[in-house]
Amino acid sequence: MVEDPEIIIRRWFVAESFIAVGKSLERVDSIEKVLGRARFVEDFFEEGFLVARLALARIPHARIRKISYDHILKNPKVHQVLTYRDIPGENQVGYAIPDQPLLAERKVRYYGEPVAVVVGRDPDTVNSAVEEVVLDVDPLPALYNSLEAMERQDILVHEALGTNIAFKTRVRKGDVDSGFSKADVVVENTYRTHHQEHAYLEPEAALAIPDLENRITVIATIQYPHLGQKIVAKVLGIPSSYVKIVAPYIGGGFGGKDDEGPLVAARAALAAYHLRRPVLLYYTREDSMQIHPKREATVIRYKSGATQDGKLTAIEVTIVHDTGAYANRGPFILWRATMHSSGPYYVPNAKIDGYCVYTNKVPQGSFRGFGNPSVQFAAEAQMDQLAEKLGFDPIDLRLINMLRPSSETITGQMLMSSVGIYDALKKLASESNWRIKRRMYEESRAGRFRRGIGVAVGWHGNSTSRAVPDWSNSYIHISRDGSVSVYTGIVEIGQGSPSSSHRQLVAEVLGCPFEKVNIVFGTTDAPDTGATHASRGTSVGAIGILVAAGKIRSRLESFLAEYFNVQKEEIKMSSGEVVVGDKVKMKWEELIALAYSKGVDLSATGYFFLPKGVFNDEVGQGFAYPAFSFIAVVAEVEVDTFTGKVRVLEVHPALAVGKVINPEAVKTQVEGAIVQGLGYTLMEKLVISEDGRIINDNLTDYVIPTSHETPVIREAIFVEDLWEYGPFGAKGVGEMAFIPMPAAIANALSHALGIRVTELPLTLDKVYSLTRDSSR
Amino acid sequence: MRVVFTLNGRVVEVDVEPNEVLLDTLRLRLGIKSVKRGCERGECGACTVLVSNVPVVSCLLLTVQINGSNIVTVEGLQSDDLFMELASEFSKSFAVQCGYCSPAMALTSYAFIKKALENSLKPSREDIAKAIEGNLCRCGTYPRVLMAIEKVLERRTQVR
Ligand code: FES
Ligand code: FES
Repeated sequence: MVEDPEIIIRRWFVAESFIAVGKSLERVDSIEKVLGRARFVEDFFEEGFLVARLALARIPHARIRKISYDHILKNPKVHQVLTYRDIPGENQVGYAIPDQPLLAERKVRYYGEPVAVVVGRDPDTVNSAVEEVVLDVDPLPALYNSLEAMERQDILVHEALGTNIAFKTRVRKGDVDSGFSKADVVVENTYRTHHQEHAYLEPEAALAIPDLENRITVIATIQYPHLGQKIVAKVLGIPSSYVKIVAPYIGGGFGGKDDEGPLVAARAALAAYHLRRPVLLYYTREDSMQIHPKREATVIRYKSGATQDGKLTAIEVTIVHDTGAYANRGPFILWRATMHSSGPYYVPNAKIDGYCVYTNKVPQGSFRGFGNPSVQFAAEAQMDQLAEKLGFDPIDLRLINMLRPSSETITGQMLMSSVGIYDALKKLASESNWRIKRRMYEESRAGRFRRGIGVAVGWHGNSTSRAVPDWSNSYIHISRDGSVSVYTGIVEIGQGSPSSSHRQLVAEVLGCPFEKVNIVFGTTDAPDTGATHASRGTSVGAIGILVAAGKIRSRLESFLAEYFNVQKEEIKMSSGEVVVGDKVKMKWEELIALAYSKGVDLSATGYFFLPKGVFNDEVGQGFAYPAFSFIAVVAEVEVDTFTGKVRVLEVHPALAVGKVINPEAVKTQVEGAIVQGLGYTLMEKLVISEDGRIINDNLTDYVIPTSHETPVIREAIFVEDLWEYGPFGAKGVGEMAFIPMPAAIANALSHALGIRVTELPLTLDKVYSLTRDSSR
Repeated sequence: MRVVFTLNGRVVEVDVEPNEVLLDTLRLRLGIKSVKRGCERGECGACTVLVSNVPVVSCLLLTVQINGSNIVTVEGLQSDDLFMELASEFSKSFAVQCGYCSPAMALTSYAFIKKALENSLKPSREDIAKAIEGNLCRCGTYPRVLMAIEKVLERRTQVR
C-alpha cells in the first residue's frame, strides 16, 4: 500500500493516458446556476431573521471622541447598534500587520471605514438607521499621495509606527553599476497605475446563525473559510472549533472576498452573538465599493540597460504601493511585485526597492494578479523601448532574454523545469501573424483610425509568497453505494475547481464513474486547504485531493491483488469498470461493496506540505516560489484619434501553465481575465474626491466592460510544461491572463500612435491628449 | 397596499409598502431567489424579470406599478422547451462561471431568441451583443453567452 504523498503525486505526474483529465467535461454547476437553483449567501435568508448594515465613517482621518446612537435605539425596529466596545475578543484583524480594527476604535483612517453594525427588523429600518449614527471626532489632516506620505513625519496614519512606510522589500543581485556600464542602451521611465474595484456582481454578505453552547455558523461571501473561522473566533474570543464557516456559491471573488470575506463574517457573527438570533449582514453596492480593499495603485520608477546584441545587463526599480489606511495584504502584494519585477527574463544585475505606504484612502488589497499586472506593465513597456532603441523586433528581444529551464530568476532561484514560456511565445508569434501585422500597421500609421499590435508576457509564482509554508489537504470518504464524498476548503467562486477539475481528478485517480464524485467544498468541515486565491484552486489546492484519492486507490489495488492473488499491475480501474487479471470483471459499486465487507479502510486524508527553500529578505535572494505559471498575449487595438477612443479588436493568448485539466474551463478563465484586464486598462477608474471619498461608488459611474467591449479572443495556445508537484503537473491559471493585459494594450496603443504610454487607465481624455502629442 | 399580478403563470396577491421594489417583493415575500441583488439602481441587470416577455430590471420597478402584469422569472420556465434548451447550451458553451448573473443573463437571452424566432429575424453577432448589453457579467462570460445564443438560434432556424 502506498501512503506517501510524494510517491502518489509522482505516480500520476508520469501518467500518460487519461480518462477524465485533459477533457473538457461540462461543469456540474452550470445548469443549476442558470435555473436559479444555486444558492448564494443572501438566498439563505428567511423571514424572521434580523438584518444588519454597517455605519461608515464620513471623514478620511480623525480621532474618535464618541460614537452616539442612543437616539436610534428608540425606534423599536432597531434591535442593536454594535461598536468596538461590544467586541468580546480582539478588535484586531490585520492580515500582514496587526494594524486594522474590525470596527474603528480611537481613530478613523479612511472615508468609508466601518464604525458600527446596525441591526434591525427590516432593510428599510437599518438603511435609515445607519445614517443616524453620530461620530463625534477631532479631524486630522489627511494624506492621499503615497510619494508625499513616504516623506512626511508630521502626519501619520499609524502614529505608533513613526513613519507612513508600512513595509519594505528589496532585491540585490550582482552589481547594477557595472551592469549599466556594460549597457549600450539605457531606458528609464516612471509608470503609474491606478486602483481597481472588483465589482463582483454579488456584493458582500454574511448570515450568522447562533448555535448551541455559543457555537456559531456563518454563511459568508468568503474565499478562505478557515481564515474566516480564525478571525471570527478571535473577535468573539471563542475557540475556532466553535465556529463553522460555509461558503456557498460565491458571486465572484477575484481576491476581494479573500480580504473582506472574513471581516464581513466577523461583523455578522458579532451581531448574532449579541442578539442570539440569525442576522444577515449585507453590503449595498455603495458600501461594498467604499469599504473593501482595491487593486494596488502604484508609482514605479524603472531603469533597464541592454547590450547591442539585445541582452539585458541590469535593472534598477523602485516600486511604491499606496496601501491606503491599512496594510491588509499590501506587504504580500508588494513582495510579489518585487520578486516578479524583472518579468520572466534573465537579468544578471538587479537592484529593486519596494515601499508599501499608508495614506488615508481605502486599503489596497488582493485582486487577480496580486501586484503583478502593474509591475509587468512597467517591465514590458521597458522591453518595447529597448527593442525600439536597439532595432529589435519586440518579440525577438524578449526571446533573447527569456527564462528557460536551468535559468536563474532575479532572486537567484534556479528554475530546473516547468519553464515553457519561450516555446509559448514562439508559437504565439507565428500563430498570431505578429510580424506581418506589426509591419502592416506601421506602414499605415495615418488617418483618423490607427491600428497597433502589442505583445506582453507575464509570470506568476505558484502558491503563497516567500518561504512561507503552503500546503494542501482534503478528506475523501467512499460510501457503501460507491458514491465518493470529497471534502475541500477550496471555494467555488466561478473558477470551476470544485465543479469540474476536482471531480475530474478524483474520477481519474479512483477510476470511478465521474457522476459518483461529490465535492463538498467551501466549508470548515473540510480540512484547512488554504485559500481559494493565488490561482491555487486546481493546482496547490487540489494536491490534497490527489493524495487522498491516491491512497484509497492504492488500498483498493492492494486488496484486489491479495484477494484474487494477482499482481497489482494486472488491475485496471477506469470509468467505473474494474478488471483484475484476465478472469475477474466487476463494477465500481461491486468493488466497493466487496471492500466494505472485507474491512478495507475507504476514508483518507490527503495532507501535503509543499517543499520550500530558504529566502534571505536582506538581499531578496533565494527560493521565492516552487514554480511559475507563464503567459504571453498579443493584442491588437484601434484608436480613434478624433475622440481618443481605443477598441481592443483581438487578443491572442498563449499559456505555459502545466497540465491543463479541463481545456474549455481554463479558456473561460483566460477570457474572463482578458475582459477584466481590458476594463482596467481602458475604462475603470475610481475617482477619489478632495475629502478622500470614492465618488463613483456605483456601477453607473464606475464603468465595467459589457458584451460590447469584448474583443475577439483567439483560441489559447497551451504549452504543457508540467510542474512536478502539481496534480498531474498542473500549475495555476486563474489570474494569468489579467497580468499581461495592461502592458499588451498599452504597447499596442504605443505602437499605433508611435508614442510611449506610461500611465493607466487609457481613458478617452488621456488617449486624446496622447494623440495630440503624437501628431505634434 | 394590495397588488395582484401573475407570477410564473399563477395569480399572486401581496400586501406591500408603497415604496417597495419588485426585487424585494420577489426575493423577500415570494421566495423567488433567482432574481439577484447586484446594484439596486438598474445598472447590472442581475435582477432582470420578464414583464409581458420584455426584460425589465426589477430593482427600479415599484411593486405597486405592476398590478395586473404578467411576470416571469426562470423559476417559471423550467418546463419551457426553448428555455431548457438554452440553459443546456449555456452549460455546454461554458457560459457560466460564478453564476450570479446567469439566471438574468439567460432570461434576457431567452426573450431575445423568442422574439427573433417569432419575427423570423437573423440577428448578427452585434445584435446579440446589444441585446445582452444590459446584463453585466464580471466573470466575463460574454463570448460564451453569445456562442450559446447563436447555437440555439441556428438550431431552431434549421428545424423550421
Ligand atoms: S440590481 Fe437591479 S439592475 Fe442591478
Ligand atoms: S458568471 Fe459571474 S458575473 Fe456572470
